[in-house]
Amino acid sequence: MPDIDLLKGLAPDEAASVLALGRRVVLTTGAELFHLGDTADSIYAVTRGRVRLTLPMQVRSREEDVLVEECSSGQTVGWSALTPPYRFTLTASVPLETEVVALPREALNRYFAGHPDTGYTVSFNLSCVIGQRLQLFQAMWLREIQRMVESRCA
Amino acid sequence: MEMLLMGACLSIFGLAVACLAFGAATRDTGIATAAAPAAETEMMRAAVQPARFFVTPPALPVAARSSVPIEALLLQIENHVRLEHAAAQCFLESPNPSMLHSRTVSALVN
Repeated sequence: MPDIDLLKGLAPDEAASVLALGRRVVLTTGAELFHLGDTADSIYAVTRGRVRLTLPMQVRSREEDVLVEECSSGQTVGWSALTPPYRFTLTASVPLETEVVALPREALNRYFAGHPDTGYTVSFNLSCVIGQRLQLFQAMWLREIQRMVESRCA
Repeated sequence: MEMLLMGACLSIFGLAVACLAFGAATRDTGIATAAAPAAETEMMRAAVQPARFFVTPPALPVAARSSVPIEALLLQIENHVRLEHAAAQCFLESPNPSMLHSRTVSALVN
């Protein structure tokens, strides 16, 4: 079992208890884990393989799923399940056979109510994952704006 | 005399072959190109010409860019996203303005 970013800082038995709340899901090559707009009930810890996160883009009048981010073993995808309005904002699919642990929001909330320290650590890790994503895309966005400004001033 | 006439005939024949070869090499190739508007044809020709010193090569017109297969375009987009992702991660590791303004080798924007 790889180190899961969401469970960083937890004692091994505590991390195992959280993972035991979920169920293992094996996805075959090309399978979709969740789709943009779906109700998000579970967050997914990638334990093997890779997950492609995509957004639809109009390319020559055709809608194409364009890669936004790739997550590999140890990373968490689908944190829309833990933040209102609990709807996925990306589509996730797998380019190769991949295994994830699906952690349902309800089960996590119940467990964290009884284990607030674990809940705090997981929430802290989740805020790190979300914050890093925000900073990353902020930098990517600024680079695109910079290029646009340069092309307009050229 | 016969030798002189034979030499003259061979020379004329050689000249004719050379003229035909030159004509074939310099003739426009595609029927479609001939049918395209003259200005666009000129732009295309200018764009595919090799770069010259102190001259910025003109950009390909939109019509020529759209001839790139959609699969190739999607790969270019994917490659661009990966490169930008890596550049943004470098910025987060050691934030400084130059990392935000660094150039990309992405074919999508060059």
